Amino acid sequence: MTKSVFLSLAFHSIMIILTALSLPFMLRAPIDLPPILSVELIQITDKTSIPFAAKAKKTLEKIKKEEEKRLVSQQAPPSEKKKEKPDRIPMPEDLNKEKKKIVKKKQNPEEVKEQVRQTSEFEKKELFDPNQIAALIDKSKEETAETLKKNEKLTQSSVKDSFTNALTLSQEDALKAQIFGCWSLPLGLPYQKNLLVRVKLKLKPDGTVLKSEILDHARMNQPGQGFYKVLAESALRAIRICQPLRVPPTGYEKWKDLQLNFDANEMLKG
Amino acid sequence: MNFETNLKRIFIVALASIALTACATQGKKQSGKMSGDVYSGNDTVEFLATGVKDRVFFATNKSTLTTAARDTLRKQAAWMRKKKSITLTIEGHADERGTREYNLALGERRANAVKDYLMTYGISGSKLSVISYGKERPVNSGSSPLAWSQNRRSVTLKAN
Amino acid sequence: MKKLLVTIFYLLIFSNTATAIVEVDITRGNLEPLPIAVSPLYIEPGSLDVKQGDKIIKNIGEEISKIIEVNFRRSGLFNPLKKNSFVQSPDIAHVKPRFEDWRLIKAQALVTGKVKVTENKLRVEFRLWDVVASKEMVALAFSTTQDNWRRIAHIISDKIYQRLTGETGYFDTRIIYVSETGPKTQRYKKLAIMDQDGANVKYLTLGNELVLTPRFNPQNQLVTYLSYFRNLPRVYLLDIETGVQEVVGDFPGMTFAPRFSPDGKKIIMSFAKDGNSDIYTMDINTRVVEKITDHTSIDTSPSYSPDGKYICFNSDRSGLQQIYVMRSDGSNVKRITFGKGLYGTPVWSPRGDLIAFTRVHKGKFYIGVMRPDGTGERLLTENFYQEAPSWSPNGRVLIFYRETKSDSQGEGFSAKLWSIDLTGYNERLIETETDGSDPSWSSLLSK
Repeated sequence: MTKSVFLSLAFHSIMIILTALSLPFMLRAPIDLPPILSVELIQITDKTSIPFAAKAKKTLEKIKKEEEKRLVSQQAPPSEKKKEKPDRIPMPEDLNKEKKKIVKKKQNPEEVKEQVRQTSEFEKKELFDPNQIAALIDKSKEETAETLKKNEKLTQSSVKDSFTNALTLSQEDALKAQIFGCWSLPLGLPYQKNLLVRVKLKLKPDGTVLKSEILDHARMNQPGQGFYKVLAESALRAIRICQPLRVPPTGYEKWKDLQLNFDANEMLKG
Repeated sequence: MNFETNLKRIFIVALASIALTACATQGKKQSGKMSGDVYSGNDTVEFLATGVKDRVFFATNKSTLTTAARDTLRKQAAWMRKKKSITLTIEGHADERGTREYNLALGERRANAVKDYLMTYGISGSKLSVISYGKERPVNSGSSPLAWSQNRRSVTLKAN
Repeated sequence: MKKLLVTIFYLLIFSNTATAIVEVDITRGNLEPLPIAVSPLYIEPGSLDVKQGDKIIKNIGEEISKIIEVNFRRSGLFNPLKKNSFVQSPDIAHVKPRFEDWRLIKAQALVTGKVKVTENKLRVEFRLWDVVASKEMVALAFSTTQDNWRRIAHIISDKIYQRLTGETGYFDTRIIYVSETGPKTQRYKKLAIMDQDGANVKYLTLGNELVLTPRFNPQNQLVTYLSYFRNLPRVYLLDIETGVQEVVGDFPGMTFAPRFSPDGKKIIMSFAKDGNSDIYTMDINTRVVEKITDHTSIDTSPSYSPDGKYICFNSDRSGLQQIYVMRSDGSNVKRITFGKGLYGTPVWSPRGDLIAFTRVHKGKFYIGVMRPDGTGERLLTENFYQEAPSWSPNGRVLIFYRETKSDSQGEGFSAKLWSIDLTGYNERLIETETDGSDPSWSSLLSK
């Protein structure tokens, strides 16, 4: 037994001496980092700070250069993604593309969720707009189709902003922030289903609601879609609680018909 | 200045590591009674007759007999052959580190491994009955690798 | 290229000005339990006190509302508001609630009701109100005998749960489990049954012999379990109403891990002989026995899919415990788990969409769910020791049990029942008067 203590001591001492000798290296002053470039293009309010997925950022910067020449108003970033974790175990997303990754990393659930979450929100955004635009692209110009697609996607939404949406980015953010605070998401919703409810509103100039209408009304009574009714009701409750809505002080004609698209998927998928 | 601070550091780390070595030696004591994953000591062992141990031990999730186990069972068989009218119960047990139902099946497999071996030494199958207790009857109530190794066992008992 | 871009750009401007509606995407909200006010039920004049056995319950209106509140709180989906802030008295609230007052305490839903107790009848009427929309959502009435008053509270909870979440509830159910006492080396075990909220505990066996892994029949009249009666471990059937127990089949060896088929007609279990465990079924009425698996490995912990067409089970035919799915006739066996470590105790959700399981890896025990094809594995909770999840009848909640580590003296061991929501939220200890293990959830008592 004493032999093992001695051996242990000897090995430990060797290790200590090694680390002690290397310690001076750690005492050196930190390397001077190059000055941080802050590229601030958009006025983002506290409530709508939007972290971009890495891929999206690159594309954005590429397109920005081209767009700067044309557009007068600001660019629209992809819409928010909730990145804060609720302080309970979040649920990972199940995408076909992520199957492989999940199988490999099954014993480390936290890891998988991080990866998956990022790509999922990015892919989701891609699907939303370009489908309509794809029809417009001349097939002979196929090589540039991809860049074009991305151009259009951003072009369209930013066009939406400045011409059709009738709300500036900060006005839209203000309204969103208000409704975010009023909407109590029903906790019992099944995930991985279509959790989108669209509500059409007719507003009065002071922001109170004259009339509300749920699009896809028929879905409420479909079998297996019981949760849709619950989701729709929660959206209506949110709107009611939030009255008067935070509408812009001018331009009533432009926003008197307002459609709110409540999508619970972002929140529930973690 | 550098040298002095280094020296201080070496001293503190040296003290800490001495404390560690103390812990290391305690661990070694425990593992002396285990050969790999299989218990090889004599605590909890009872004797059917002088020199005839009543039980054998297994590795985690396994029901294969070790050399030591076979040695014990040969002695058991020799003792049994002398007692013509004896009947025996072979119990199979598992440790708590598995699911309950699978452990019942594993205990049964372990007990049968013992029974089959005894039969190859001439003991008639009609004298040997098998019962599994899964993880329900541990002999050591602790939650350490040593305790678990003592619980992974098959015990031979006199039935009459 | 630039020209093309510009043309398309202008095309888009013009095409978009056609639609005048402004769209705003709402993708965030509060993920918090719904604030709901449960008003004590109004007791109609002339009502008697409720008698339950030899107990007299004076304030039945308040007692019923308390049960509803506990159900809601434990589900994690609702936040029952504190009563001392309630503004209207129960009788008025039930007829005409002043929604502005209820909104002041931030309630979004309100439950009111009234009770009438006569000699042999208890009649309860309740209403669920949408406080924000100022309208009634549900109005129902129930009658039963006095001693069933707790079930009415659970049925009301289920109706409200269904209306507010779109799913069927699970409050009018029972849980069967094994009650444990004594030292770890000589545990004293009895079959116990209780309401899902812990009330009405009844012991079904005396504790003279070891009992393990009980399961409910879908019709809730029969229970199957493993008993070491006369030192012979065998699967038994127990009729809860009559108390009659009988051994299942005439097997020349240990039978264990019993469950019922979804139609309640068969028992499926493992039979161990000569070191090999295979899965068998026995028809309860005809007593016909069928062998389902035929392999030299250990095959156990079988579980039917809700449509009865498939069985998932635990087998170590690959070397270690893994989960397999096969057709209910034993054909087409497919392995579905491939992760590191071991997988055990598979249970098919009553919704058919998921299989819950126990996983052991690097000395840790996990409760998780996956799709029946093995994809989408999600681990919900981790512990030193936990296993044997069982589904609530709506496939939303899992109940399981945990054991604690003994200390160096071998003391401090305990086993407790726990529940967790499918999303991984709301992990919760279930109070039992003794230690408990092997829990199993019944189907809804009211059908």
